[in-house]
Amino acid sequence: MRLSVVASWVESPLKHFVDDARVEIAVLLHPSGQVMGQYGFARSIDVMSACALASAIHASSSELGRMLEGQPFSALHYTGRDRQVFLGAIPSQSGVLLLLAVFDRESSLGLVQLFLEEFKTRVAAAAPSATAGTPAALAEDFERDLNRNLAQLFGRA
Amino acid sequence: MASPFAQVTESLIRHRGVLGAMIVGVDDGMIVESTLQIGVNGNAFAALSASLYRKARRSAAAAGFGATGFLELTAEQGRVCAAGAEELVIIVVCEPRVNVGMVRVELLRAVEQLP
Repeated sequence: MRLSVVASWVESPLKHFVDDARVEIAVLLHPSGQVMGQYGFARSIDVMSACALASAIHASSSELGRMLEGQPFSALHYTGRDRQVFLGAIPSQSGVLLLLAVFDRESSLGLVQLFLEEFKTRVAAAAPSATAGTPAALAEDFERDLNRNLAQLFGRA
Repeated sequence: MASPFAQVTESLIRHRGVLGAMIVGVDDGMIVESTLQIGVNGNAFAALSASLYRKARRSAAAAGFGATGFLELTAEQGRVCAAGAEELVIIVVCEPRVNVGMVRVELLRAVEQLP
């Protein structure tokens, strides 16, 4: 399975995470739903759907966290019959990013959480600052940026 | 309120050379109960050891050896011993000088107390 990234700094942290945590799918995205890198998906439409859903889940759970604890929840875990989903917030110099990971019995929640901490450290070291990196997504540019990122990931740029 | 498993880990750590005892979920690698000495990274250790135990159990099953009874990993500066039930595994972290025979007996006795 091919790992594809929009920004080159994403590649190394994401590759390490996928290799170490043994996840089936990993997507790093902006909370707005823009993909930054992915492993495990073969079709851009699947990435787009996963990012949109992850973004919506993050927005809902963040708001729920604010209501209950005064601050957003930092991670969410869901256990299905065969697969599990983990969605975690990744602090970076340009703001919070999200990591969506899907794993089966080859991995575990403990392993994903363990290697998530290493992933956070790698992202913090590799991510450019907000001024040097990609500017924050604006509503008017969202669709264009989303399509550009997906095209880059799947080799249609 | 102490968890019903606290007594299990506390009795294991009383042995000379035992640095930590944990009860961990086999499938999720999360700590249910632990008694650890300073310097042991519990969460990381639990996740990796549970993964090791899961793989050992699958290997034993694939080889047709049946259920995994006792797992021992000997490293340069310590030992890891594990024994488990269906959903939980007890993991003990030891110094190299530990009496492994004693740990084994205590561990297998402790496993009987797991659900």
